Amino acid sequence: MAAVTGSGGMSRGLLLVLWGWMVLWSVLSGRLDLLLRGVFHSLVGMSGAALLVAGLVLLFHHRSGSGVIPWPWMVSAALCCLVLLIPPNPSFSDLASNRPQGLPEPAELAFVLPPEQRSLTEWVRLLRSQPDPQLVDGNPVNISGFVWRQPEGPPLIARLTVRCCLADATPSGLVVAWPADAYPKANQWLAIKGRMTVGKRNGESTAVVEPSAIKPIPRPKRPLEP
Amino acid sequence: MQGLDKLATAWAIFQGLLLEAIPFLLLGVVIAGVARWLVPQGAWINRLPRNPVLAPITGALMGFALPACECGNVPVARRLLASGAPLGTGFGFLFAAPVLNPIVLASTWAAFPDQPWLLVARPMGASLLAILLSLLLAQLPESQLLESALLSERRLSQPLRRLDLLQRGSGLIGAPLPDISAQRPKRPRLGDVLDQSSREFLDLLALLVLGCVIAAMVQTWLPRSWLLAVGGAPTGSILALMLLAVVVSVCSSVDAFLALGFAAQVTPGALLAFLLLGPVVDLKLAGLFTVLMRPRAIAITAAAASLGVLLIGQWVNLWQL
Repeated sequence: MAAVTGSGGMSRGLLLVLWGWMVLWSVLSGRLDLLLRGVFHSLVGMSGAALLVAGLVLLFHHRSGSGVIPWPWMVSAALCCLVLLIPPNPSFSDLASNRPQGLPEPAELAFVLPPEQRSLTEWVRLLRSQPDPQLVDGNPVNISGFVWRQPEGPPLIARLTVRCCLADATPSGLVVAWPADAYPKANQWLAIKGRMTVGKRNGESTAVVEPSAIKPIPRPKRPLEP
Repeated sequence: MQGLDKLATAWAIFQGLLLEAIPFLLLGVVIAGVARWLVPQGAWINRLPRNPVLAPITGALMGFALPACECGNVPVARRLLASGAPLGTGFGFLFAAPVLNPIVLASTWAAFPDQPWLLVARPMGASLLAILLSLLLAQLPESQLLESALLSERRLSQPLRRLDLLQRGSGLIGAPLPDISAQRPKRPRLGDVLDQSSREFLDLLALLVLGCVIAAMVQTWLPRSWLLAVGGAPTGSILALMLLAVVVSVCSSVDAFLALGFAAQVTPGALLAFLLLGPVVDLKLAGLFTVLMRPRAIAITAAAASLGVLLIGQWVNLWQL
């Protein structure tokens, strides 16, 4: 192995091990479920392992001569440590309020499924492809999602869908006829059982979930939907 | 409380962007390292066309060999330029390869199977933009265009018949030396390649971290609805989607799926503008480009790419609307 010049091989090895561990830890600890779509998880895991191996090889070959570490590497390594120490805990409600609603149009599957088996996202897709709420009036509903407190209007029950990562998360929400004594807290995850009814919103007929039972639940392990 | 929520959201977006980009950056560095090891200063570099139009097209087509997004392309483009490849090839690869690769074309088709014009217009627009930007940047002297460390590396790799010794920055002063570029170059040791690649990765990673911090903050504190509010207006929608592409900074391999979310709300020209500008100019890339170009050249690239994309978008709107 060549002699190390400039920033030492040992320091670089340590930094690569640190980054590799952070990336691998994000996969192993399940944090990635909150950040990225599932299809990317194995790719991220492999890159973490590759960084770890490359760092260990550098450490093995450069057991001395730590050299000077450039400050941009130090700053980014500090952020890497912070990522390890502070897990992501986004406000889904805040994120949703900052994005326009929008979902792809597949929808056919939602018609096939019995109403009580449709997820919240499938309900939204169905209502988008078939906007007449009368068609689903009286259907049983069994959904879960987080409380989305919008800047204007009543809170919705919602989910976030991602194509890639949290940066492109898009909300989809359903209107709920909340009981008079309910004060749903933003970001609270709820399981709602009830039936679909038709209500008026901004002068237009809209599908509204009428709950018969509302149960607080912990945030699901995989809260983002594809 | 609201401020803390926003901070927590920005922190999570930062982590999402970073963890999604690291594999592609690593892939780019690995490919650049393998290329350095397999074909060191290869004679193939000298065979690349130097024609101002053919060179960027050649670079753009090289994207089919690297199915990565724009982050992974930066180290490969740097390696190409450092090895003495024509400027047009390096920049053609940098600007067009993030679109002209099988994964990006497949994802565009998967997202918009009912809009075949987009599958043609996207690679054509990216190639056109790459040629335009390469022609423009070639007007600058290399000393004003390329980042100083890259310039030194590039000059060292140039044959002596092309540069004098002072320009090259090393060697003997005296009578011109015979061209040594025809000699078979020595393959570097794997250890040397790993050393250099690790340095390159950490340099780029620091810039990527900076870009992700900026992109996450802007995304959290700038409501996206503001950008999409002018969706219906032909020019306004193009400008809004261009700004969104710069801010969102997602990889070109998945940006078509993101565009799908608001495709119905904007004009066709705006949709194409989003898919063309993001791979060339975004907040996450801003730092990474500093290992290739000087700030003035980056500013020229951003301005020219924006203008080019605006014109392409306008033309598409005239044709489609």
